[in-house]
This record gives sequence, C-alpha cells and structure tokens, in this order.
Amino acid sequence: MYRRILVAYDGSEGGRAALKQGIALAKALNAELSCVLVEEHLPHYAASISEVKAAKEEIDAHFRTLAKQARDLAALGGIDMETIVRQGHEVETIVTITKDGQFELLVIGYHGHSAIFGRIMGSTAQSIVRLAPCSVLLAK
Amino acid sequence: MENVWFLAAVWVGLALLATLFAIWFKISTALSEIVVGTVAQLIIGVIVGPNALGSSTAWVSFLAGTGAIVLTFLAGAELDPDVFRLKWKEALVVGLAGFVAPFLGAAAAARYVLGWDVGPSWLAGVALSTTSVAVVYAVMLEIGFNVTEYGKAILAACFVNDLGTVLMLGLIFSPFTVRTLIFVAVSVAAFVVLPFVTGPFFRRYGGRVSELETKFILFALFGMGGVALWAGSEPVLPAYVIGMLLAGTVGKDHLLIRRLRTLTFGLLTPFYFIRAGSFVSVPALAAAPLVFTVLFFAKMFSKMLGVFPAVKAFRYGRQETTYYTLMMSTGLTFGTISALFGLSHGIITAGQYSHLVAAVIGSAVIPTLIANALFMPVHLRPDETREAGAIATTQDTMRGKREHV
Repeated sequence: MYRRILVAYDGSEGGRAALKQGIALAKALNAELSCVLVEEHLPHYAASISEVKAAKEEIDAHFRTLAKQARDLAALGGIDMETIVRQGHEVETIVTITKDGQFELLVIGYHGHSAIFGRIMGSTAQSIVRLAPCSVLLAK
Repeated sequence: MENVWFLAAVWVGLALLATLFAIWFKISTALSEIVVGTVAQLIIGVIVGPNALGSSTAWVSFLAGTGAIVLTFLAGAELDPDVFRLKWKEALVVGLAGFVAPFLGAAAAARYVLGWDVGPSWLAGVALSTTSVAVVYAVMLEIGFNVTEYGKAILAACFVNDLGTVLMLGLIFSPFTVRTLIFVAVSVAAFVVLPFVTGPFFRRYGGRVSELETKFILFALFGMGGVALWAGSEPVLPAYVIGMLLAGTVGKDHLLIRRLRTLTFGLLTPFYFIRAGSFVSVPALAAAPLVFTVLFFAKMFSKMLGVFPAVKAFRYGRQETTYYTLMMSTGLTFGTISALFGLSHGIITAGQYSHLVAAVIGSAVIPTLIANALFMPVHLRPDETREAGAIATTQDTMRGKREHV
C-alpha cells in the first residue's frame, strides 16, 4: 500500500508516538522508512557571534542525539531507517522533503512540532495536513 | 535598595526572566534583556521609586561597563582574518560606505529634521552608523551563506563598518589634548606588542585551572580602557581593536572563547543590556513616536545611499546588492553602546537616548525581515544547503544499520 513512509520526529511525546507508529507501519507493509528532524531557528537578533555559535552547537548536538535515538528505536524494531536533519521552518521543510522524496505517507505527532501557540492551536500539524502532497497520519 | 545582595538578586532574577523569554520567543538574550530592563524600570519605578532598580549604582555600572568592554573584545576577536584577507578591498569599500553614509545622514536628520543640538546629532550619527555582525552572522548561518564568498564578504564589510563606528565613538567626543596623544601612542604600542606577546605567553603558561588567559585579557582590556577613559575617550575602542588583533590567536582558541563567553553572558552582559534597557523612557517614546520614525528611516535611507552603489561597484546583481545592503543596515550592540556612552557622558538626554535605542532595535529586526522575505538571493545558496537545508544534513543523513554495525 505505502512503499515510502516519512516520519517527522522532534523528541516530543507526539513525535515519539509518530516514530513508533511509523516503524510499526513500515514493518507491517515492508515499506522504506525515513525520519526527518527539523532544527529550530537560531536566536534572532543576537548580540555577538559567540551567542549564535553556542546556540548552533547546542542545537546540532541535541538533534544529533535525537537522530541517534530514532535510529536506535528503528533498529530495535528491525527497520533500516534513514534520518535527515534539516534547518528551517518546520511546516515548509517537512512538506518540501515529503514532495522531493516522493513519500506516500507522512507520519507526524499531534503536539510534536508546535511552539507555545502551536501547542494550544495545533497549528503546525494542521498546516502540514493541509499542505502535504500525500496522506498524513496524525499520531497520538 | 541599600542591601547590595537583594539588589544583585533582583538584577540576576531579571536576567533569568529575560533568558526564559528569549527561549520561549526564540529571540536573542540581549534583545530580551533590553526589553526586560525597560519594563522592569517602568514597573519598579512606579511601584517602589525611580531609583529602586539602582541602574546608576557604582557596582552595577562597573559590571555593565565590563560587560560592554568584554562583549566588544569578543566581537573583535570573532573576525575571521582569512576571510578579511580574501575580501579586503570589497570589505573596506563597502564597510566604509556603510559607516560614513549613515553617520552623516543620521546626524543631519537629527540636526536639521529633529532640531537636536550639534553634540546629540553627532552621537545619533555614530549610534546609527553601526551594523550588527552578530545579527548578520545568525542569518548567514541559518541560510548557509556563511560558507559562500558572498556571505563572507558581507561579514567582513560589517567588521569594517563597526570599526569605523568604534573609532568615531572613541575620537569624536575626545577633547584632543596631550592626553589624547598619549592615549594614541600607548594604544599603538599595545596594538603592536600584544599580538606578538599573547600567543607565546599563553602557550607557555596557559591551559591551567588558574585561568591565566582570562586574567591576561582582562588586564589588557582594563589597562587600555583606563588609558582611554583618562584621555576622555571610550574604553570599548581599544577593546574592539585588541579583539581584532588577537582574532588569530585568542579567536581561534575555542575553549578560551567558550570560557570567556560563560563569564560574559553569565554575569556581565545581563547587567549591561538590562541597564541599557532601564534607561529607556517609555513615556518619552510614546510622546514623540515621530522622532523614532525619523531616526530609523534616516539610518535606512542613508545606508541605502551609501552601501547600495558601493556593493554594486563589485558587480553584484540587483537582488544580491539589495540583500547585501539590507544586511549592512542592521544594528544592535554597538548602537546601544554608543547611545549609552552619550547618555552617561551627558551628551544626550534620556528622551533622545530612548529614541536612539528604539531606532537601533528597529534596525536589528526590520531589515532582516524584509531582506529574507523579499530579496534573498536563493541562487547563491550552496547546493548542499539548498538540498539539505543545513550543512549538518550531509553528516547526519545516515542509515541505521550503518550506525549499528
């Protein structure tokens, strides 16, 4: 049914639910599974380059750890999963990767990709559902 | 507040609050601290009294001043000498144009449109002539331009622009007496000696728990700052130049920079930025919003007039030139440092200071938003970045099995 599945993961509870369901689906359908992690923005309007560099180092280290966690979880489920770490706007980046990679199913967590307002409104998930070129599974 | 520890707790508490806001709203800690300082002074001033926050207390002023000096030193030390060598002609021409045009333009607007006196007008020219290397660097890093020649040229030009601002701030209000000559002579001697002494000294005695490097740098900064102040100049001037001269040694020692960063951002700069914010008068801003508008657009238009043709001369296309110009139109750290210099030396009033700081903050935010929304030269982004969104992708895209074999 679905041959190429993409999971969006950010380490949150919703993201973990998406990852687990993505792994289970890929195994059941014998599909290819990829995982995208979207790095958050660097601090805007910083006072020194040091602040920006420090933030970048922290973000990179955090997402490297998350990517490894995701791959470990997939390996436990017997799945060979590709992880892609990218920087940018969450909705734009996830939708672009889904299009470019010709994925047939996108799995996202309900609360996983939202900031303060997103957590209340669920706006990130809604935008992804609206803009994605394929079916979207909203994991809870 | 007479109890020094209670007052210190209030300031550090405000710094903590500003950091949380910075995390929640994804803005820089510096900007958040300025805003928190402004709001705190407004609230505490009304409830407790205008001097309750103690912004003019000697020890707060000292910590804030040290924050400005070390921050300026770090800004100078962040210069990449290799990048500058590669693009020195372009950086020099664009950087000088980026400094001179707004310096004259904003000063003229303050003098002839707002009717400010000569001293405050020159100060406005200095404060609005800056660019912000850090704001530009964050944008470059996020988009991937930091690894392109285009991005490196912008950053190098920003350094030259800020050097012009710092030099002008250090000299324009100087009384030009014998002391000035002595200051110049001592500075030249220190600038020649320091790059030769620092590297070998650190290699022989550094790398210990006793933090010899930090003490040495603070000694040089305080010593030269003292001479600058004695001569009626500004301590951030030698700090920036020393930073630039030590960029090849101190700047490349990532561990030392990280330790200095802990000292600077953990203790010193919160005092500097919160204090800078606490002097902003919200009623003064609300009473005359047109003053802010005039200052902000004076900076933007004069930057356009100066930088656009200078960049165009290096055969960039229209879109690249506009983006380059908008990046050079940013400002934050040196703008606030200049404005605070003016206020603490009685050159400008609290109202003028408030409008200048507001214009500086406006120039940190608005040009980058316009540049990224309308003029980003996407075709100049490196392939791997456009494909991957970040350099990290090529390293971090991997298959699970490869990782676990």
